[in-house]
Amino acid sequence: MQFRFEKRAEPSRIMLYATPVAAVLLTMVLGAIIFTIIGYDGIGAVREIFFTPLTNSLKWQDLAVKAAPLIIIGVGLSIGYRANVWNIGAEGQYIIGGLAATGVALLTQNMSGWWILPLMGIAGIAGGAAYVAVPAFLRVRLKVNEILTTLMLTYVAVNILNYLVFGPWKSPTSFGQPQTVAFNESQSLPYIIEGTIVQAGAPIAIIVALVAWFVMSRTIFGFQINTVGSAPKAAAYAGFSANKTILLALFISGGLAGLAGMLEAAGPFGRMVPQFPSNYGFTAIIVAFLGRLHPIGVLFAGIVLAITFVGGEVAQTTIALPNAAVGIFQAMMLFLLLAGDILIRYRVVRVVVAKGREAT
Amino acid sequence: MSTTLLIAMLITMIGASTPILLAALGELVVEKSGVLNLGIEGMMLTGAVVGFAVAYTTGSPWLGIGMAALVGAAVSMIFAFLTLSLSANQVATGLALTIFGTGFSALFGSEYTGKPLELFKSVFPAGLAEDPYLRLIFGHSPLVYFSFFMVFAVWWFLSRTRAGLILRAVGENDISAHSIGYSVIRIRYGAVAFGGAMAGIGGACFPLLLTPQWVEGLTAGRGWIALALVVFAAWRPLRLLAGAYLFGLIATVELYTQAAGGVFRIIPTELWASLPYLATIGVLVLISLGRSTNANAPACLGKPFEAGH
Repeated sequence: MQFRFEKRAEPSRIMLYATPVAAVLLTMVLGAIIFTIIGYDGIGAVREIFFTPLTNSLKWQDLAVKAAPLIIIGVGLSIGYRANVWNIGAEGQYIIGGLAATGVALLTQNMSGWWILPLMGIAGIAGGAAYVAVPAFLRVRLKVNEILTTLMLTYVAVNILNYLVFGPWKSPTSFGQPQTVAFNESQSLPYIIEGTIVQAGAPIAIIVALVAWFVMSRTIFGFQINTVGSAPKAAAYAGFSANKTILLALFISGGLAGLAGMLEAAGPFGRMVPQFPSNYGFTAIIVAFLGRLHPIGVLFAGIVLAITFVGGEVAQTTIALPNAAVGIFQAMMLFLLLAGDILIRYRVVRVVVAKGREAT
Repeated sequence: MSTTLLIAMLITMIGASTPILLAALGELVVEKSGVLNLGIEGMMLTGAVVGFAVAYTTGSPWLGIGMAALVGAAVSMIFAFLTLSLSANQVATGLALTIFGTGFSALFGSEYTGKPLELFKSVFPAGLAEDPYLRLIFGHSPLVYFSFFMVFAVWWFLSRTRAGLILRAVGENDISAHSIGYSVIRIRYGAVAFGGAMAGIGGACFPLLLTPQWVEGLTAGRGWIALALVVFAAWRPLRLLAGAYLFGLIATVELYTQAAGGVFRIIPTELWASLPYLATIGVLVLISLGRSTNANAPACLGKPFEAGH
């Protein structure tokens, strides 16, 4: 029996939404097999990574905490990717956003008031957007590839972070620990549910996704982003400036990554430490793709990836699975998703070989 | 500055350049065939952990390098299958490969943390390398000579052989190459496999040539710098050599100034550590200012070829 691909007249909408689900399910099956082969408890790994965070209600608050930054960054990246600009340095913009917010926190150390947190938020967004400004202007003015520049700046951001927390920002009372002073109450996110670890980041993530959904599907700007990305010539005829769209798309993705950085700094971390880069910026790339670059899709994809993060921590303690295994599961998910993309534009048909005739 | 110190610096510089040079040479061939593989960093990390593990367990650096090349090529086939056979987006698939390689190396590397490895040293008799000038010729790891050889080999292959001409034709105009009977997909598979093997060897250089221990994420973005170098070199192997040594020089200056201390202490270490990345951006800017180089990019770079379906 032979199969071949046959081009569809129209891209399949069913496959567009079915393939991400299939990719996640196939990741579990393949992951279980592969991890069993390399000598781990493969089925246990899949159970702990994908199911325990859902079945164990104690883990739900962890999910909300981990999903929030992934969704916020993922929404921003997906807007950029729709415009065909490849910001892969969200991790760097996240760090700078967190640092900018920390800067405000250190300046307002002995103050209190409702205005401090919003100011930190603005600083975070501005920091992230400013950090992507260099790649953005280089891209539109000189056509310098933004993939490489945004990524290079991520490494620089880590160095800036280290410089600050080991140097000028080091707390005088930290006994040599490289960390800033702890944020005060006016500088820390409120808890939205009493007695849990869920802070304001989670509802903000949902709001970001909803606003992005509205903007992308109901406004001219969303249309402009999509057209510049998928049909640049048509966009030019329509009078859309490609450069302006690219700049805006990059600023939005950088700004949202910066916002996520601020929410993490003022939320779970509560101060700036060298451990601040948590790979959210890179994982959000998977989130954006798994969510089909659609804000609501990103919302769900962010939760899926958060499940694997939380599940990875569970598997580490329960079945001694190294944390790096989660990275492999996540990469596998993206591989399978990308492999499934072909089913959107092609269908698989069986080649029937009639007697005495060649298959066409 | 004494000659001995200068020569020592040169040798350090050549060593530091070698992993980037090897990986970039592989990517150059891949891009010449019209494929953009952003997964170099992932393949280098894979090669690094395999190179370390094999060299550590067997005691043979040669075997380590060989296996690193093999596994590098093997993981590049995931990329090739997705992008060439299934026409998946090359940028996204390359990123996925890097995420995969990062996880793979972290998973298998953890058990080697803190274990000592022997560097892959010069194979010439030690007596030859005593004189500082002779040391410049005979004092390198076999990996360095291999990189010299590969610069020449890639140049020769691309510009002087029929197979190289076909590979370039596939990268410049896949439809024409297809219509005169060349298998575009098969040629690109071959190029991607070569790129994977070279990135694997480049990755193995980290534990075998530079620092003989396992550190998670030890490539520190060198795979991405290699990508930038290919653009810098305008897809020419000899310019690649010059570009790689420029980066080696920056890394070496960083190393020596930090050791020297004194006046250099004014500049924070973090700034020195950022220099290779900032220099990469600077180089990319310089290239785009001169407009002739981008005209050199293979015309089909990054575009999927679908005539086969």
